[in-house]
Amino acid sequence: MGGFFTALGEYAFIRNALLACLFASVGCGVIGSYIVVKRVSFLTGGIAHSVMAGMGIAYFYDSSPIVGAILAALASSMAIGWISLRWRQHEDILIAAFWSAGMATGILFLSLTPGYNVDLMSYLFGNILLITGRDLWLIFFLDLSILLVVLLFYRQFLSSMFDEEFARLRGINTEFFYILLLCLISITIVTLIQLVGLILVIALLTLPAAIANQYVTSLHKMFVCSAIICALISVSGVALSFGPDLPTGSVIALLACGCYFVSVFIKRLLLNGDV
Amino acid sequence: MNNVVIDIDRVSFNYTDVPVLRDISLQIRAAEFIGIIGPNASGKSTLLKLILGLLAPDTGTISRFNQAGKKERAGRIGYVPQHVGFARDFPITVREAVLLGHVSALAMPFGYSRRQLAAAEQAMAALEIEALGRRQIGRLSGGQLQRVLIARALVSGPEVLILDEPTSSVDVRAEEDIYALLKQYSERMTIIIVSHDIAFISGYVDRVACLNQTLVCHDTQAINGDIIKQLYAAPVKLIDHRH
Repeated sequence: MGGFFTALGEYAFIRNALLACLFASVGCGVIGSYIVVKRVSFLTGGIAHSVMAGMGIAYFYDSSPIVGAILAALASSMAIGWISLRWRQHEDILIAAFWSAGMATGILFLSLTPGYNVDLMSYLFGNILLITGRDLWLIFFLDLSILLVVLLFYRQFLSSMFDEEFARLRGINTEFFYILLLCLISITIVTLIQLVGLILVIALLTLPAAIANQYVTSLHKMFVCSAIICALISVSGVALSFGPDLPTGSVIALLACGCYFVSVFIKRLLLNGDV
Repeated sequence: MNNVVIDIDRVSFNYTDVPVLRDISLQIRAAEFIGIIGPNASGKSTLLKLILGLLAPDTGTISRFNQAGKKERAGRIGYVPQHVGFARDFPITVREAVLLGHVSALAMPFGYSRRQLAAAEQAMAALEIEALGRRQIGRLSGGQLQRVLIARALVSGPEVLILDEPTSSVDVRAEEDIYALLKQYSERMTIIIVSHDIAFISGYVDRVACLNQTLVCHDTQAINGDIIKQLYAAPVKLIDHRH
C-alpha cells in the first residue's frame, strides 16, 4: 500500500487512473441510480456487450475504437428501446439477441483485422493504467453531457419512472424519456469501459446505486450517495491491485460485490430493515 | 345542456378481438359525483382510460370540456390510479410525489414556483398527510398511500377528478374517510369513481352508472335487486345501506 502512495507521486498514469475513477463515478452514480430504480440492469448488460460490435468494426476500419463504442452504444440503446416498447413481452429475448450479436460482430471484425494484435482482454476487462490525458478529457465531457441532460429533465424522468401512466396523462412523452435514458446509460457505459471493461461495467452501474438505495429517501440523494460509493470502491480497487499487480477491473468488481453483500447484511440483520 | 364536461357518445372498444365496451353513451355534468360500478372485467378501468385519453375508442367519440385539445385539458382532469407499480424502495418522499402532480412536459428544471408549493401544502393538509411529507413512499400504509395519490391529483386544481377503485387496498374505516372527503370535494368539482362495491358507494354518489360491457344509468334511488341481477348475471344480496 505504501508503494502505491509513492507511485502516486511519481507516475502520471496512476494519477490519471485515479482521476478517471473520480470522473467516471459521477456519471456512474447518477445513471446507476436510474438503472437500479427503473430495474433495467439486464438491459444495461445488453447495451454494454453490444458496444463490442462498434469497437471491432472501428478497429477493422482503422478508426478510433472509442468513437466506435459511442456510436454502437447509442445505436443499440435506441434500437433496443424502440423495439422493446413495441414488443414488450419478449424484452429479455431481445436483450439476449443484442448481447450476443454485439459480442459476435465485434470479435468477428477483430479477427478479420489484418495484423490484428490488439489486446482483446483490455476491452473486456478494462485497463485503467493505460488511461491517457485525452481519455480523461473524453470521460469528463461525456460526464458533463450526462449531467446536463439529467439536470434539465430531472422531474420528467422522475415522474415517468414513478408512475408512467400518470406522467403520460400530464403530457410527458414517457417513450421519449425511456429511450433518452437508454442513451444516457450507453454513454455512461463508454466512460466505464476503460476502467473495468465492458463485461464488468454492470457491477459499477448497479451495485453502488443498490447500496445507496437502501439508505436514502430521495432520488437526488441517491445520485450523490452512489457516486461517492462508486468513487470509494474504484479508487480502493486501483490502490489494492497496484502492489500485488492484480487486474484492476476484477478487483474493483469484486469490491463492489463485497460491499453490496455487507451492506445488505448490515441493513437486514443489524438495522432490521426490509431490503 | 352546456354544463356537460365529459360527453361519451356511442363508444366501443376492443382489446385485440375481445370486445370490452359496446356502444357506451354517457354524459357527465359539472359538479356531478358519479359512480361507475360493475363486476370484474366489465370494462370499468378501460372506460376510465378512454375518458382520460390514455386509450382511443375504436368507434364513437369522447369530448372533454367541449372538445378541448390535449394541451388545453392537461391539469384539468386529475387521476388517482388503483395502484402504482413502483417498487417499495423507490427513492421518493411523500412531498416529492405530491409535487409530481405539477410536472408536465415543459416543467422548468429547477425549483417549484411559490404557487405550486402552496398548492401542494394545501392538498397535503386537506388529506391530513402533511406530517408524512418527508417519509419515503414505501413506508406508508395502503390508506396513506391512497391519500398521497389523491393529493397528487389535486395539486393541479382539476375540474374533474377520476378515481379507479380508490379504496381497494384500505380498511373500512379509511374507506369511509376517503369517501367523506370526496363528498366534500364534489361540491366544487366533478368526481368520477370506479368501484365494485355498489352498496357502499351508493350512499355517497349522485348517480350510478352500471357497466358490464354495456351501460345502464341510474339514480342512486333506483338501484334494486333486479338491476344488480341483470348486471352481475347472478342474484346478489343487496345490503340496504343507510347513512
